[in-house]
Amino acid sequence: MTDVRHHFHEELRLTEAHVQSMGAAARDLLSKAMRALVADDAGLCDLTIAADDVVDEYYLRTEQRILNLFALQTPVASDLRLLTVLLHVNIHLERVGDMGVNIAKLAKLVTGLPRSPTVVAHLEEMGGIAIRMVEAAMDAFARRDLELAYSLPRMDEPIDRLNRGMLDEVLRGADDRRLLEWGIRMSMVSRQIERTGDHAVDIAEQVAFLATGEFREFGDASHPEIGIRGIE
Amino acid sequence: MATVKVQSARQSNTVAGAVVLQTHDLTVSYGTARAVQDVSIDIQSARITAIIGPSGCGKSTLLRCFNRMNDLIPSAKVQGSVTYHGWNLYEPGVDPVEVRRRIGMVFQKPNPFPKSIHENIAFGLRVHGITGDLDDRVETALRRVALWDEVKQNLRKSALALSGGQQQRLCIARAIAVEPDVILMDEPCSALDPIATARIEDLMRELQSDYSIVIVTHNMQQAARVSDMTAFLTAEVDEERGTRTGVLVEYDRTEKIFTNPGDPRTEAYITGRFG
Repeated sequence: MTDVRHHFHEELRLTEAHVQSMGAAARDLLSKAMRALVADDAGLCDLTIAADDVVDEYYLRTEQRILNLFALQTPVASDLRLLTVLLHVNIHLERVGDMGVNIAKLAKLVTGLPRSPTVVAHLEEMGGIAIRMVEAAMDAFARRDLELAYSLPRMDEPIDRLNRGMLDEVLRGADDRRLLEWGIRMSMVSRQIERTGDHAVDIAEQVAFLATGEFREFGDASHPEIGIRGIE
Repeated sequence: MATVKVQSARQSNTVAGAVVLQTHDLTVSYGTARAVQDVSIDIQSARITAIIGPSGCGKSTLLRCFNRMNDLIPSAKVQGSVTYHGWNLYEPGVDPVEVRRRIGMVFQKPNPFPKSIHENIAFGLRVHGITGDLDDRVETALRRVALWDEVKQNLRKSALALSGGQQQRLCIARAIAVEPDVILMDEPCSALDPIATARIEDLMRELQSDYSIVIVTHNMQQAARVSDMTAFLTAEVDEERGTRTGVLVEYDRTEKIFTNPGDPRTEAYITGRFG
C-alpha cells in the first residue's frame, strides 16, 4: 500500500498506542484501589491516589496530540472517526482513573472501622468485573472487534444488580453506628464502580462507531428499548 | 434554446433538490481513448455539487459535458445522455450557445476580456441579445458577487487591473448576468490566495439558493467546505493499452463522503492510502 500521508498516519498510530498505554495505567490504578479497599490498606490507598498523576499526564498529552492533529492534518473519513474516538476514550479513561482515586480516598477514610464481609465480597466482585470491562473495551478498540464491543452491556449487568442491592446490605448494619458509617462510604464506592462500568460501555460505543460509522447508544437499564445488534 | 423549449431557468430552480442535470451511462472519448465511462449522476437544483478525484479521472471532461464545451474539441465523442430538466442537451437542433447561457462556466484561471469592468458584463449581455438599460444589470451582477463596492468608481477601467480574486468574481458576475440556471466551476480557486479563495467559497454559498453549482476541485477540503453533494471519480488504468478511463465510484452527501464513505476506493483516496 502506498500511503501519501505517512507522517500523519504514523502520528495517529502513535497517539492510539499512547491511549492504549493510558488504558493500562487507568486499569492498574483501579486494580490497586480495589486491592487497597479489600485489604484495608491505607498505604496502598496513598499509592493509588498518587498514581493518578500518571493517568492525568497521559490525558493531557493525548489531548494536545489530538488537538494538533485536528489543527494540522484535516483528518477525514476513518481517520476523522478515529480521532474523535480517541478524544472520547481519552476522557473516559481519565474518568476511570478518577473513579479509582475516589475509591482509594473512601477506603482510606474508613480504615480500622468494622466492616461487613458480604459487602466487601460484593464490592470485590463488582470491582473485578469493572476492571475486566475496561480491559475488554480497550481490547475491542485495539482489535476493532465489534462483537466484543457489543458484549460490554451484558458484562455490566451484574455490577448494576449488585449496586442496586448494596443499600439493603448496608442497612443490615444500621444498629452499629461505626458499621453504618463504613457501609455508607462503601455505598459510595459501589456507585464509583458502577460508573466505571458505564465508562467502559461508553468506550465500547465509540469502538462500534469507529467500525460502523454510525453512532448509537447501547441499551442499558434506563433505555432497555434500545437494542444492540448481536445481543438482542 | 433554439428548438427545444424549457421552463424559465429562474422558475425551474426554485425546488431545491430537484434534478436539474442528469447523465445516464455517459461515455466520453477523445479519439480512441475513453476519458470517462458509463457515468450516471443526478445534479440537484439549488445545491452545490463537488466533483473530486485524482488527475486524469475525467472530472473536467464530465463537467464540460454539462454545457457542451466538449463540442469545441474535434475528436471528442459523447455517448449516453445528458439531460437538462429532462431535455437531451445533445439532441440535434439544440443551440449550444443557448445551452451555455443557461449553464454558465467559470474557469480555473480568471479570464476577463481585455476590456473595461463594465464591458466585461455588458458584452455578454449584448451577445445574448439583451438590450435596454445594461447599467442596471451590470450593477446587479456586480452586487451579487460582492464586487460592486470595490469597483463602482472604476467601471470604465480595464478589468485586467483587478486582483486575481476580483477578476474571478468578475467572471462569476459575467456568468450570472445572463441569468443562467446552473454555474459550472472548473477549479475556480486554484490560482487564488487563501483570502480570495475564502471569498469565492463564501460567494458560492450566497449564490446557492438561486443557482445550481457544480464545482470540480483538486482541493478536497474545499469540496468538504462548500458542497452539499460530492461525486468521487477515479481513473481505471489499462496497462496494456496505456490508457486511463474515469469512472464514477461514489456519489453521496458530502458529510457522508468525508466521515463514512461507502466505497473503499473513496476511503483510500481521501485518506491518502492507496493500493
